[in-house]
Amino acid sequence: MEKMTKPVQLLQGNAACARAAIAAGCRFYGGYPISPSSEIAETMAKLLPRVGGKFIQMEDEIASLAAVIGASLAGMKAMTATSGPGFSLMQEHIGFACYTEVPCVVVDVMRGGPSTGLPTSPSQADVMQARWGTHGDHPAIALCASSPGEVYELTVRAFNLAERLRTPVILLLDEVVAHMYEKVDLGRLAGLPVEDRRKPKGAPGKLEAYAAGEDGVPAMAPFGEGYRYHVTGLAHDSRGYPTQDPAVVETTQRRLQRKVDRCRKEIVSYELLQCEDAEVIVFAYGIVAAAARQAVRQARQRGIRAGLFRAITLWPFPGEELAAAVKQAKRIVVAEMNLGQMTGEVERAVGKKKTVKTCLKANGEAITPDEIFSALQAEDACHA
Amino acid sequence: MESPATQNVLIVGVGGQGVLLASDILGTVCLGRGYQVKKSEVHGMAKRGGVVYSHVRYGTQVLSPTIEPGTSDVLLAFEPAEALRWSKYVKPTGTVIVNTQKRIPPAACQDRRPDALTRYPRGIEQALRSQIEDVRRFDAETLAFELGDLRMCNTVLLGALSRVCEFSAEEWLAAIEKSVKPRTAELNRRAFLAGRSVEFPCAEEPQAEELVFEKREAARDEAPFIEIRQNWCKGCEICVRVCPQNCLVMNGSKLAEVAKAETCIRCMLCEWLCPDLAVSVH
Amino acid sequence: MLDIQKYLRLEMFPHMLCPGCGHGIVLGALLRAIHSLKLSQDEVVVVSGIGCSSRLSGYVDFDTLHTTHGRPLAFATGIKMARPELTVIVITGDGDGLSIGGNHLIHAARRNVGLTCLLLNNEIYGMTGGQAAPTTPLGKISTTGPTGPFETPFDSCRLVEAAGASFVARGITYEPATLEKLIVAAIQNPGFSFLEIISDCPEFFGRFNRMGNPADQILAQKQNVVDAKTAATLPPERLKGKMLTGILHHEPRPEYAASYQESIAQMGAQAR
Repeated sequence: MEKMTKPVQLLQGNAACARAAIAAGCRFYGGYPISPSSEIAETMAKLLPRVGGKFIQMEDEIASLAAVIGASLAGMKAMTATSGPGFSLMQEHIGFACYTEVPCVVVDVMRGGPSTGLPTSPSQADVMQARWGTHGDHPAIALCASSPGEVYELTVRAFNLAERLRTPVILLLDEVVAHMYEKVDLGRLAGLPVEDRRKPKGAPGKLEAYAAGEDGVPAMAPFGEGYRYHVTGLAHDSRGYPTQDPAVVETTQRRLQRKVDRCRKEIVSYELLQCEDAEVIVFAYGIVAAAARQAVRQARQRGIRAGLFRAITLWPFPGEELAAAVKQAKRIVVAEMNLGQMTGEVERAVGKKKTVKTCLKANGEAITPDEIFSALQAEDACHA
Repeated sequence: MESPATQNVLIVGVGGQGVLLASDILGTVCLGRGYQVKKSEVHGMAKRGGVVYSHVRYGTQVLSPTIEPGTSDVLLAFEPAEALRWSKYVKPTGTVIVNTQKRIPPAACQDRRPDALTRYPRGIEQALRSQIEDVRRFDAETLAFELGDLRMCNTVLLGALSRVCEFSAEEWLAAIEKSVKPRTAELNRRAFLAGRSVEFPCAEEPQAEELVFEKREAARDEAPFIEIRQNWCKGCEICVRVCPQNCLVMNGSKLAEVAKAETCIRCMLCEWLCPDLAVSVH
Repeated sequence: MLDIQKYLRLEMFPHMLCPGCGHGIVLGALLRAIHSLKLSQDEVVVVSGIGCSSRLSGYVDFDTLHTTHGRPLAFATGIKMARPELTVIVITGDGDGLSIGGNHLIHAARRNVGLTCLLLNNEIYGMTGGQAAPTTPLGKISTTGPTGPFETPFDSCRLVEAAGASFVARGITYEPATLEKLIVAAIQNPGFSFLEIISDCPEFFGRFNRMGNPADQILAQKQNVVDAKTAATLPPERLKGKMLTGILHHEPRPEYAASYQESIAQMGAQAR
């Protein structure tokens, strides 16, 4: 299919996400319409059957992620996409997928909240929900793209991480990136590596479905191939059977966290712009990072030594990397389209000796370069 | 004063065989002659293959509706075991007409294994012959089946009955036509005539019945074995209460226990209704 | 007589259900039905939600998925879509399937996705200690309805039939042989099959409502039901307060996963 299309295309962020998912091997999409994510579902509905994949519009977002997990257990790479209100509904099953270790990708195109909020104006107010939205301790991986081209790359990466680590991976987009059109070189992106889940070695038999090796990731058998194992959202032992034995529960909890932690270096990615000599560094992600880039440029033109730390991975939080990048800086400006959800994380990472200022906006408008530029100059926080 | 010439005909069978219609037809024939007729019948468990009987008494004057034991002139039995059950009602000089096809009642086949031994009586023919002079056995059911409808069995048997009653074939046929649905009238007519033309003793293979018993005899195996996994049983008592044979009891630890497996009829209720999957019947 | 043990995860027994709980009887009937259909253990997937009934999935030796409260049908839909060749059986309860999962139930029925849904109705929330369910009859006591509910219970079969299920039936645990046959018929229907099974909760429903011991309770089941065929011959006043049992609706129509699969094949043909 890909070879019949032009390698360089003007692609919308949401469409890029769908195209990348298929390229990453996604063959199942279960979803529910919600702006501003619906184009992902629409594109998948059209494209998936052409590659032998399955699309289903479920009755709600809860059911959507449930179907995705079901399909993934049956051996298909699977995803769903939604926006804030739907993301809230999906939290139940994000936790289920974490605990039962079912790979899947959840795309959240963030819009202004809380509640029905601002359909469909941009926001970045779901970043904490992506980390702590579901109950209980669990690992979380969340990536955040700043442009349609990056949406493509990160979608493929999200699938790779999900499959490799047997865990849900969240891809956070904001409304601006999702609806933005940009030139995307599909020819170059077609070469991105694709990873598949590791299947059990040897013939089906009695399988310890959750027995993991050094990497903490159990091999995953698809349903229907004779392994006959149990999957439950209850605390379970290495066979998958429910248990309340504190030692066993503890072991599993720790393993889940560890399997992600030990790959932290591979998961965490970020971009540095002129941080080496910067006295003030903007911390931004998503579309705000694009504005921040312009603000840094403006500041440099005015002789202010500014830099940008653009987080691509939001969870696990790139704290060590940020701390290293801001070593010589005096001030950090956190620019985000919410009321400071990541600011606390930044403060924790950089320590008390640095001054952390904010440039926040949660009114449905995107943060402008000027606003960030003002914040770079000002000693006090800018509440745009 | 009841006429001494009152005739007694006892018609017996099991539910669904058409005993009552047959007795109605006999009654109609009698009325056609201007006789008094009294009929007394019992039916109830018809759907379960239960016993159905009809006492028919006719003559110039009939007072009592029921036949006393040892006084019936004719016993028309739709089923061999029923013939045996009612044989004591027949005069030693009377006549028994028996359909030889058996209907094994649930009470006689409680063992649910394929080919299990039934408690259906054996030696019926000998028992009948030892009590009653004229025993006429024939396979009315097969005859009816060959005519095209198993349900004609009762009319076939009426045909055989007509040979020992005083009424003419025409009187019988007129009564039959009056009693059955028009579309089956012709078939009933043929069934009646077929039954009427059977000559006794008729040539049939009397060993058929014995063969069945032998086969069942051969299939008898060891006594049923009920297994209760005590560590799975939670003592809900359902198996004990549903067992129709009282094979199971609650023991001192309030768990189910096998008391007498030998009376087990393998109805499987204990196994199927055990919520703990703790009971197996082998 | 069937060696049911080959279908069990013996290491999980005895199961955790209360003494006399009707759900174990359903489990036996389900396994005998699967056996009589000669299904391989590898081609059966059992999916369940949360609650007493949904615990059954953990005890059977198939691929089994014990999901979240109310959602098993949605998970099962994904499995069936991904692998239409599998026999996917969903076990849910009255709270799981009709209350929190009611939306999923009607939509699974509407889509006619090829799942067999066994809804074990014991008219109460057992796992959480005997709260009122959407099936608790008027006048019956629960911990959250100490004087009985003020709301009318669901007739799940009528609900699901109206939603579009191609097979709807109701059985009772007191008739395990009939129940087995109904499960067989439900599995054989290619579309969405719904089977409500009246099951007992002696521990809460029975105790609160003074229904005697588990044996008393199961023996009383017949009082509340009438076979659908018999019901057709009875006047309405004789059916008052009775639930109908047997196959209540069977009208096959195209199954969702197969239809989708077919459309993929057609698309492939067009592309060539």
